[in-house]
Amino acid sequence: MVNGYIATSLQEALEIRASHDVVPYAGGTDLMVENRQGVEYLFLNKVSELKKITADDEYVRIGAAVTFTEALANANVPQLMKEAVSRIAAPAIRNAGTFGGNLGNGSAKADSVLIEFVSDAKLRLVSKKGERMVDVDKFYLGRKKLDLGSDELIAEVLLPKKGLEQYSYEKVGGRNALAISRVSFAGVFAAENGRITNAAAAFGAVADTVLRYKDIETTLIGKTIDEAKAMKEDYLKAYAERMVLTRGRVSAEYRKNVCMNLLRDFLTKFGI
Amino acid sequence: MNEIRFTLNGKEVAYAGSATDRLLDVLRNEYRCTSVKCGCKEGECGACSVLIDGTLLNSCCVAMGAVEGASVVTMEGFRETKRFAALDKAFGELSAVQCGFCIPGMVLAAEALLSRNPHPSEDEIREGLSGNLCRCTGYNAIVNAVNNAAKEGNGLW
Ligand SMILES: Cc1cc2nc3c(=O)[nH]c(=O)nc-3n(C[C@H](O)[C@H](O)[C@H](O)COP(=O)(O)OP(=O)(O)OC[C@H]3O[C@@H](n4cnc5c(N)ncnc54)[C@H](O)[C@@H]3O)c2cc1C
Ligand code: FES
Ligand code: FES
Repeated sequence: MVNGYIATSLQEALEIRASHDVVPYAGGTDLMVENRQGVEYLFLNKVSELKKITADDEYVRIGAAVTFTEALANANVPQLMKEAVSRIAAPAIRNAGTFGGNLGNGSAKADSVLIEFVSDAKLRLVSKKGERMVDVDKFYLGRKKLDLGSDELIAEVLLPKKGLEQYSYEKVGGRNALAISRVSFAGVFAAENGRITNAAAAFGAVADTVLRYKDIETTLIGKTIDEAKAMKEDYLKAYAERMVLTRGRVSAEYRKNVCMNLLRDFLTKFGI
Repeated sequence: MNEIRFTLNGKEVAYAGSATDRLLDVLRNEYRCTSVKCGCKEGECGACSVLIDGTLLNSCCVAMGAVEGASVVTMEGFRETKRFAALDKAFGELSAVQCGFCIPGMVLAAEALLSRNPHPSEDEIREGLSGNLCRCTGYNAIVNAVNNAAKEGNGLW
C-alpha cells in the first residue's frame, strides 16, 4: 500500500510503529482536517485489541480505538463520560472519533480528556519493549506535547469504576452541534459520613492543557458541608488567583468569569 | 503493489493511489460519485456524508487506507433502494429540497438514523441530522420529510 500500513493486531502495529516513521491513524477526524503532507499513516481501525471496553473491580478500560458512538452504547462506561461524549459534535464525528485520537491530538479542548482529568484516569501505553501506566495529567507535558515515545501507542484509558456518580458537566460553546468547546467544566463530588472526600474540578479549552488544582481541592477534604460553605468565597478566590487563561477567540476575562460561575454552581449543586 | 480493496455501492473496486488520500476526493475524481459534495473538508457540513459498513461518516475525514475491506455506499448506490424511494417521495412532497447541495448527505444521514431508530421523535431526527448543514431550507421541511418517510415507509426500516 502506498503511504500506509494496516495493522491487524496490536503486535503488528507495534512492530510497524517501532521500525517506520508513521503517524497513528484512528478515526481520522483530527488528522484529515490537519491534512499533513508527506506522511505515512499506521491504520489502527482493524486492531481488535484497541477496540474493546472491559471492566475489572477497579477500572473501566476503554480501548484507544473505541469510537464515541461505541462508548455511548456500552453499559460499563460511566454516565459522566457518556454525558461529555454525547455532546461531541454530531453523529458522523462521534462515529469516527476515538478516545485515543482525542488524547493523541494533545488539545485542551478534548472533551473526553477533561473527564479523564477530573476522574484521575490512567493511560496504558504500549510499545514493542513493553507497557507502562501514566496518570493522564502527567501524559500532557504542555500544549500539543505528550509523554509518548515515537515507538509507543496509547492502548487504553482506565477510568475508575466508583466515585464518579455525583458530578457536574457543562460545555459552553458557540453553537450546539460541531462547536468545539470555548469553556468546558467537569466536577466530581463525594462525601462520606457527612465529610467531603472528593471535590475535583477540571476546566477545559481555556489554557494549554486541562486545568486542575489538586492542592486547592485538598482544602475541602475532610470538611463538613457547613464548614465548606463557610470557606466558599475564599475557596473561589484561590481559584481565581491561580487561573491563568490563554487568549483565544473569545476574551480571556469572559472565559474566566464563565469558569468561576461554573465552579460556583458545582459547589452549590452539592450543598456548598 | 498492494491496492486498497473495498466495495463501492456493491461493486468490488481496487484503488492504487495513496492510503493518505481523502475518500471524498477519490469518490468524486476517481469513481465519479459526484453526489458526494465537498462543502468544507473540515467535518463541519456533512455534504460529503457516506455510509461505511452502514455507519454515517464524513468522507472528507476518512483516508483511503481506512476503507480497506469496507463497504462504502453513496447516493449513487442508495438511490436503487426502496428506502430511498420512501425518502425521495417524502422530500418531494414536502418541498424539502431547494438547491439540493446538502440533500445527498441529508438523505444518507436520515438512512443512518432510521436504520438504528425506525420511529424517531422530532428531537431525535434533529440530532441525527445535526452534522448536516443546509443553507436553503431552514431545516423544518427536511425534518418533517424524514418524519413522514419514517411513518409512510413503515416496515422498510
Ligand atoms: C467537525 C468536528 C467537530 C469536532 N468536535 C469536537 C468536540 O466537540 N469535542 C472534542 O473533544 N473533539 C472534537 N473534534 C475533534 C476530534 O473529533 C476528536 O479529537 C477525536 O477524538 C479524534 O479522534 P480520531 O480517532 O478521529 O483521531 P485521529 O485524527 O485519527 O488522530 C488524532 C491524533 O491522535 C493520534 N493517535 C490516534 N490514536 C492513537 C493511539 N492509539 N496512540 C497514539 N496516538 C494516537 C494521531 O496520530 C493523531 O495525532 C471535532 C472534530 C471535527 C472535525
Ligand atoms: S466536506 Fe466533509 S463535512 Fe464538509
Ligand atoms: S437545499 Fe440548498 S443547502 Fe440544503
